[in-house]
Amino acid sequence: MALRDQLRTIVVDDMSTSRGLITQALEGFGIRQVETAVDGTSALQKIATWPVHLVISDMNMPGMNGLQLLHALRSAPKTKGVGFLLITGKADRQIIEHGKRLGMNNFVKKPFEPDDLRKAVEAIVGRL
Amino acid sequence: MADPMAEIKASFFIECDELLEALQDGLQLIENGEQDSDTVNVIFRAVHSIKGGAGAFGLTQLVDFAHRFETVLDELRADRMQIDQSLLALFYQCGDVLSDLVRESRDGVAHDIASVQPVLTALDQLIPADEEDTDDAVDFQPMAVSLDLPDLDDMPLTTDGLPPLAGGPDDTAKTYLIRFVPQQALYTLGNEPVFLLSALSELGTVQVSCDDNAVPPLEDLDPEAGYLCWEIQIQTTKDEACLSEVFEFVEGICTLEITTLGTAQPTLCDSIGADLAISPPDPEVAPNLELALPSPAPSPSPVTQATAPAPANDTRREAPRATVRVELERVDRLVNLVGELVINQAMLSQSVDAAGLSANTSVHTGLEEFLQLTRDIQESVMLIRAQPVKSLFQRMSRIVREASRDIGKSVRLRTDGENTEVDKTVIERLADPLTHMIRNAVDHGLETDADRVAAGKPAEGTIELTAAHRSGRVVIEVRDDGNGINRPKVQSIAISKGLVPKDADLTDSEIDNLLFLPGFSTATEVSNLSGRGVGMDVVRSAIQALGGRISIASTPGMGTTFSISLPLTLAVLDGMVVRVADQTLLVPLNAILETQTLSANDIRAFGPETNVICIRDSFVAMLDLGAELGYRAPLQSYVGCVMLLVATEDGSKAAIIVDAIEDQRQVVIKGLQDSYGRIPGIAAATILGDGQIALILDPIDLIANSEWRTRPPSLEQHEVGACNG
Repeated sequence: MALRDQLRTIVVDDMSTSRGLITQALEGFGIRQVETAVDGTSALQKIATWPVHLVISDMNMPGMNGLQLLHALRSAPKTKGVGFLLITGKADRQIIEHGKRLGMNNFVKKPFEPDDLRKAVEAIVGRL
Repeated sequence: MADPMAEIKASFFIECDELLEALQDGLQLIENGEQDSDTVNVIFRAVHSIKGGAGAFGLTQLVDFAHRFETVLDELRADRMQIDQSLLALFYQCGDVLSDLVRESRDGVAHDIASVQPVLTALDQLIPADEEDTDDAVDFQPMAVSLDLPDLDDMPLTTDGLPPLAGGPDDTAKTYLIRFVPQQALYTLGNEPVFLLSALSELGTVQVSCDDNAVPPLEDLDPEAGYLCWEIQIQTTKDEACLSEVFEFVEGICTLEITTLGTAQPTLCDSIGADLAISPPDPEVAPNLELALPSPAPSPSPVTQATAPAPANDTRREAPRATVRVELERVDRLVNLVGELVINQAMLSQSVDAAGLSANTSVHTGLEEFLQLTRDIQESVMLIRAQPVKSLFQRMSRIVREASRDIGKSVRLRTDGENTEVDKTVIERLADPLTHMIRNAVDHGLETDADRVAAGKPAEGTIELTAAHRSGRVVIEVRDDGNGINRPKVQSIAISKGLVPKDADLTDSEIDNLLFLPGFSTATEVSNLSGRGVGMDVVRSAIQALGGRISIASTPGMGTTFSISLPLTLAVLDGMVVRVADQTLLVPLNAILETQTLSANDIRAFGPETNVICIRDSFVAMLDLGAELGYRAPLQSYVGCVMLLVATEDGSKAAIIVDAIEDQRQVVIKGLQDSYGRIPGIAAATILGDGQIALILDPIDLIANSEWRTRPPSLEQHEVGACNG
């Protein structure tokens, strides 16, 4: 089975438009095991019952932001090794440096083309 | 399936409307002085999200503007800027521009960027010169993860045994034990320990215990001395320095010991939050998290428990209600089907009656329940189409801002009942008339600032826009605190326009209602604002077309109130079932002023082909419905027929003659437009209980197009004489 068939991903974004766009792009790559969550809290709850390989999360969300979600993931043994891809509108040094320290695997700057997302995902999990 | 991109794009624009609404709400909170640290974040996020989505669809103008707006908001968010009235006004303008750009992007219209140049210039002046993307400077190497794929499926699918993965804010927090022993000097210098404790409680979750062991027996007690000391256990994301800072001013006059309890966790979350001014975890979210994934933290028995003050309840913090987006078409189909069900139920009842079953059979009981259920279903389905008037009201707040700016009056709009729900179609069709009424209120209703001050009123005028449900209808009111209607002026204009006789003796309310006459709007009244060729008569016909009524009330010096009363839905109508020439027709109940069976004395000839009816010493034009609709020729005699008195748009009355009134009932409206186009005098159709189709009349339209033939040409002519009852 190809990697893309097995890969489980969760897309975390408070905006349904972004969730739709990312999910659609992932489906375009053949990644079909995709869940979505509207914020960090519900993402953590979903992951608790549906473990994932890859978390694709927006940075700026109400409640927990993307990096806070990353920190929560890295703090728990079961999720500390999960792949984390940050989607951010602003890729300034502070965010990226913090992401690095927390163990962010990769980031994509908005706006992006499906191909940018594909490259960013493949850099984390390998060829789809 | 439709193009998925097009679907996502369509949902983006719907989402934009929600974000723009959140933006308006946020600005409103700031204007009312009710903002907290989160308000600016909410506004920022709304603009940021619009920008993000717009970028994905290549809407460059929208992205560009949202980016500038966002940059300025970011300055505010980082406390590098203070909000004041002029900045707030600019933000409102930016919100308006943003909403224009969203609309134009949706409709594929190119934006005239020159028209917003002043806003752009104002924004650019606020953007710091060093604002530039630092992206290039970022050095980042993607990190691959090793995926042990089969392992995943072996992972437990319950939370049992899972680590406190989502400990959230509590997990990242450290627990400290603070021992605080005030010295006597602390009290003599006027410090108050309780303030220190409450300052601490703002930093996290605290448990305070008071040590009163040192308190001596009463006889030995020095009332001015302090004997108490405190132990505070605090769970916080702040570091030790933050905690000692609270005690900065009592340094040296107390003993302070801070020890870290339990395993220390990194406090990165906090520093991210602080450095980048990204919103900290919502305090309301944390408890939910704990429910789902119990925190292993031990809970020592608390003496006093204080938590950070709960934020004031406001709409933004309400848990989002679960919603589903449904195409309007599907809802309409459901509404239609329920209509069919109502008709079917009526038919069934009639068949049961016709079968002659006795009234207490189980069939009857069952039918009663069926009737009740049908009504409930109908009401629930109608509610699906209902929407809060909030979006409409927000549009009006923009109208007020623009109108007051254009005309140079200071005006404040107060809204109430924004969550009142009305049928979606009604809301859409209410926008134009309401806009006109609001402009009118700013332009004509309110006095100039100077005149207001001279009259002892605050310079700023107030317009109140309210919505409420009242006895099965929705009432929307536009109230200004201006000078009221200038009745002598209105009357003289009406006279000069020939709308009323020169010597007419009119009551106050009759004069007020002259405003609704077609052609009342005058050249001297025309200003840039409300004089757009639309008078209050157009407003009134728009409201009437919705099955509504509009009324006016004015108190000199105090202001004017326009009230619009609307039916809750356009799908059901209260009608009077009438019979004319063996045809069954429906007349909307709200159009009928009164009914009367005609006697010979009521009818007077007027010209060769027309009759009039004499009602209480005045003559009313008479319209024979049967003849008008071509069911039959005008009758020889109308004695015994029934007259329905109907008010026309200009306030005059007319009598519609029918053979008999059969019933009064609620019916489901079935549009005819799709099949037949617009038919003069006919509004729609409905299906009655016996399966018969009945046309629903549009009395106003009928009267406007009437030929008034109510006499066979051969009939001998009797001229109108005195109306002596």
